[in-house]
Amino acid sequence: MRVVYRRAWYFLSFGAPGLLIYVCFVLVPILLSVGYSMTNYSLLRPGWTWVGLRNYELLLTDQAFLTSLRVTTILTVMVLVAPNLLGLAIAVLLDRRGWFYNAMRSVYFTPMVLSSVVVSVIWTRVLDDEGPLNQALRFLGVADPPGWLSDPDYALFSLGGIVSWQMLGFCVVVYLAGLQGVPNELAEAASIDGAGPWTRFRRITWPLLAPALTVNTVVLLITTFKIFDHVKVITNGGPGTGTTATVAFTIMQEGFVENHQGYASAMAVVMLVIIAVASVVALRVLQRREVQL
Amino acid sequence: MHKTLAAGLAALLALTACSVNEAAAPSSPAPAGAKEVTFLLFESPNLNAAYWDAQIKRATDAVPGITVKKVVAPAAGSRDEFAKQLIASGQFPDVHIGLQDILGFAPNLYAWTPEDLKDFECATCGATGGKVVQLPTNTQTHSNVYYNKGLFEKAGITAPPKTYAELLDAAAKLKAKGITPFVTGGGPDAFASTLAWTGVLTTDVYGKNPDWMRQRREGKVTFSDPDFKAATQKFADLAAKGYIDKKDLSRDYGATQTAFLEGKGAMYPMGSWFASPGAGDNPENKIEIGRFNWPGEADSAKLAAFTGGGLTVSAAAKDLESAKKFALAFQLDKANLDASVKADALFPAIKGYTPPSMGPVFTESYKAWSDAKTAGAIVPSFGWEAGDDAMLPGMKEKWWSSAQDLVSGKKNVDDVLSYLDDEWDKSS
Repeated sequence: MRVVYRRAWYFLSFGAPGLLIYVCFVLVPILLSVGYSMTNYSLLRPGWTWVGLRNYELLLTDQAFLTSLRVTTILTVMVLVAPNLLGLAIAVLLDRRGWFYNAMRSVYFTPMVLSSVVVSVIWTRVLDDEGPLNQALRFLGVADPPGWLSDPDYALFSLGGIVSWQMLGFCVVVYLAGLQGVPNELAEAASIDGAGPWTRFRRITWPLLAPALTVNTVVLLITTFKIFDHVKVITNGGPGTGTTATVAFTIMQEGFVENHQGYASAMAVVMLVIIAVASVVALRVLQRREVQL
Repeated sequence: MHKTLAAGLAALLALTACSVNEAAAPSSPAPAGAKEVTFLLFESPNLNAAYWDAQIKRATDAVPGITVKKVVAPAAGSRDEFAKQLIASGQFPDVHIGLQDILGFAPNLYAWTPEDLKDFECATCGATGGKVVQLPTNTQTHSNVYYNKGLFEKAGITAPPKTYAELLDAAAKLKAKGITPFVTGGGPDAFASTLAWTGVLTTDVYGKNPDWMRQRREGKVTFSDPDFKAATQKFADLAAKGYIDKKDLSRDYGATQTAFLEGKGAMYPMGSWFASPGAGDNPENKIEIGRFNWPGEADSAKLAAFTGGGLTVSAAAKDLESAKKFALAFQLDKANLDASVKADALFPAIKGYTPPSMGPVFTESYKAWSDAKTAGAIVPSFGWEAGDDAMLPGMKEKWWSSAQDLVSGKKNVDDVLSYLDDEWDKSS
């Protein structure tokens, strides 16, 4: 029995610091936020009143919140699809030996290590009406190139493009790791059996990349759903009302501009639930098609 | 316990939404017995670290026995949000400069007494519930139109417009010559989309009813009322006629100023801070700049101005007396005031103060303010007021985004005004 206690103490001594940090900085704030979401708390005003589920009821008809959900969903879909597809294509092209391919892997990963604020500032300049992209389009004969960030019809898609560009490197690296885990023997055997490149990819490589797809999808889903920095720096939620205001951006506006911390907490709790449910569903669905070698 | 809960909330919001950079700049070691005052400030190209250090030194020289620890907001434009996060985590500094949501912050701020305010020209400006919590140190004017004299000449405009009809005529002539009449901005600095709207509201709404905002709070007027609607329609029409280019909405404030200074448009509706040596009066400018008041139907006498924006002191400051002494010394020091004029083109509203010799754009802007004061033609600046004269917390940002909706054509005037009325009702 003493051995069991000693072993428990041994494992606890390693796990406790991490556990303590997780409890203090993740679990407790989440529970506090759930509590605040049922109050009308404002940190600039003394006192607060218990309002029960009233904040959640208001969310159901709050156009700003519903718009932010729509914006975030569109953005998430864009960022789920584009870096996954392009990342896979680029990874397949880069899955070769040689200094050039190694250099290209670094090039594709560079945006990932840049601060999102730096990326945002760079792209703000690139997509400006007078920026290099529109200058190039004018040079090519486009008389009236789009207002990538100023036109409400384009701004959200531009934002999606920027986030996709930054996340592309991550997808490339994960797919490359997956590709390098595909046994050559399988591809060779398939070739001997007469399978062409497309058939080999579809029947062998793609099924074996399922874990990489799972990782990419879940990481992109979580990253995009809580996106804030790009919106704050590039568009500040505009142009106009709510055009690019994501849920995280709307939470910050509600909490720290309008001083409704209780209501903002309700938004944060809803966002947490949505991310958790979406992540679990995505994991379950994608893990079902993973192939065990 | 309450602070712990608040800190937890702030941590969660930060975790779920963003990360905040706290930059506490080190100060020199405190002499024995010195009282430390923490000071929240923000840095910008004009108001850099050296500027603040010199300002702080002059104030602490005047009040011996106080040392100051700077707390620098991560970005000038988000100093309010940063201050609110510091309140949430129980770290609200003792003294702060340039807080904007005064109505929201008021319960946490010390209310200055008439004795404290005896040297200020407008001792009641920016009052909240009858209490002045922010020193009314500086005036800024907002219905200015700075213009490129060379482009006016090119379009055959011989004199700055004095009526709204002349303004439209000038805009038409400029557009006919392929010149963008108004330079505007937006992007992360959405306020830069609103200055022309402030101009129209100055002449057409506040010019007729300076109490409009107070009456809006009392529910006696609404955004959808005919006067406000007609003024807003004028602003929307400027965009519809192509006098304001909707593509400019993605341009941040810095890029907008640069665009005007590089001659990419003829008129730049902007606050008087543009007249600083780093901007309008920069000797390296390649254009010659003039200014006029945003014109009304019959004349251009009215000028929108706001006095306030000075230091605030936390009601919970560890050493309230030292914080107050430092704040007053900081604001009333002549050299500090001169430096604020030179760096940020502020108009100190301190009794007996006269600004140092400045460039032509500042001189013209300052004269316009002095003339309007003499003529009794100063009206509040819509969207720039503070305290009881301001919009409710959060409304200003909605007004900014509404300006962009009008310029981009995403919404029509009726939709925008009804949205503003709805949001006002929700906020109140």
